[in-house]
Amino acid sequence: MKIGKIEISKIIIIVLVAILGIMASYEFLELRFYREDVVVSDSFTEEKMLSDWLPSIKNTAVDAPVYIFDSGVPGGSVLICGGIHPYEPATTLAAYVIMNNINVEKGKVFIIPRTNMSAATLGMLGNAYPKFFTIETEWGEKKIRIGDRATNPLHQWPDPFVYVNYPSGQNLAYTDIRNMNRTFPGKEDGSLTERGSYALMELTRKENIDLYIDLHEASLMYPVVSTYVAHQDAQDIAMMASMVLSASEFPMKCEVSPSNLHGLTHREVGDYSDAYAVLMETPEPFIDRVAGRMTEELMTDGIDEFIQTAAENDLIYCNYDINEGITMPSGYVVKGAPMDYRVGRHLSATREVITWMGQFDPAKEVIVTFPGFIDVMDNGSGFYLSDPEEADESKVFKN
Amino acid sequence: MLIALNDIVHILYFVMVGFFAIFLIKQFFKREKKRGMVYDIVYAYVIMVFLLRLFYIK
Repeated sequence: MKIGKIEISKIIIIVLVAILGIMASYEFLELRFYREDVVVSDSFTEEKMLSDWLPSIKNTAVDAPVYIFDSGVPGGSVLICGGIHPYEPATTLAAYVIMNNINVEKGKVFIIPRTNMSAATLGMLGNAYPKFFTIETEWGEKKIRIGDRATNPLHQWPDPFVYVNYPSGQNLAYTDIRNMNRTFPGKEDGSLTERGSYALMELTRKENIDLYIDLHEASLMYPVVSTYVAHQDAQDIAMMASMVLSASEFPMKCEVSPSNLHGLTHREVGDYSDAYAVLMETPEPFIDRVAGRMTEELMTDGIDEFIQTAAENDLIYCNYDINEGITMPSGYVVKGAPMDYRVGRHLSATREVITWMGQFDPAKEVIVTFPGFIDVMDNGSGFYLSDPEEADESKVFKN
Repeated sequence: MLIALNDIVHILYFVMVGFFAIFLIKQFFKREKKRGMVYDIVYAYVIMVFLLRLFYIK
């Protein structure tokens, strides 16, 4: 049967597929344009954009807000970067908690909660990954988006067969040309992602950043999970912080950045600026290859029976137990790797390296207070997020 | 200069996507071989992938 010269079956098929395409489009666009309302503390002084340090990324997808908290008291300066890999969302949530609660008594703090903004505009391919997760707050649920690992292909495409890191010349996987933590120290006239990395380096150099903190999450089968990875110049700071945390709050390993592993912040920021570079990882079962269903619950509870089996066979690199739980040095029993546990780890780990930088180099001392591991384990992350509806408008930002 | 070249290559890939989308749509409606309904479904599914990229959706 035909309408004109076209078979009806073809029309029905194309219409049905078009309907599926429209439904999928809604999902893609919802994630692309969703922004969280974030509230900043009274220590907030200024919002800038990453493009203020590299104008060629202005109005591009990698341009990201930089929130500045300046005490006005001379001291050191710290840059805290969350969300360089947006599919590691405890990093962004930790940055939001810091922004909402930080009090800076000495020195200056820069916070970028979504360092690769482009990668936060799409979800991960395959496995039916959820787009968002929610956390409970005193004023209701807060929805936070989960992004991808790399820059959105809509913004940077095509990928090469092999990515050659600049200027080291090291060969990396082809997708790493869109992975902002493989494109450091960046290139002023390079790809969009390389320019994003370069903008971060320019910020670090021009603002005389003393401590560059790069927040990450790792699969439990990745050796540097629950670890500080520090440039050799920062190894004393990271090692002391690691020992203090492991004795008092939670197990935290420490490794020195390999000198021949290029493109990552812990190597290149230390080599191409005067900053101490420290990267830190929490355990995120959601991104483990052996994990079961990729659900919002897995993202927030971090409980997975397959990873438990891997743990029982000594195949993972951190403590993990979904049945009895792991007793932390601080006394808390943690089952799996829930979001609050991971956010709390980042908060205390960040605070500890800032403290130890001041101990080793008093001229670079930065005095800050914000909630830590124990606070978040007691009250939950959501407790430390203010209601954007109730907050002063000048303190609320779309991020 | 390199930034402009990057942008040109980026745009050229979208032009290629447009070309293949039009080619596939033409093949969907008019083709000599593989004319069964199963192939119609496969063509329609593949066309959608190209259109989503062309319309800057995915």
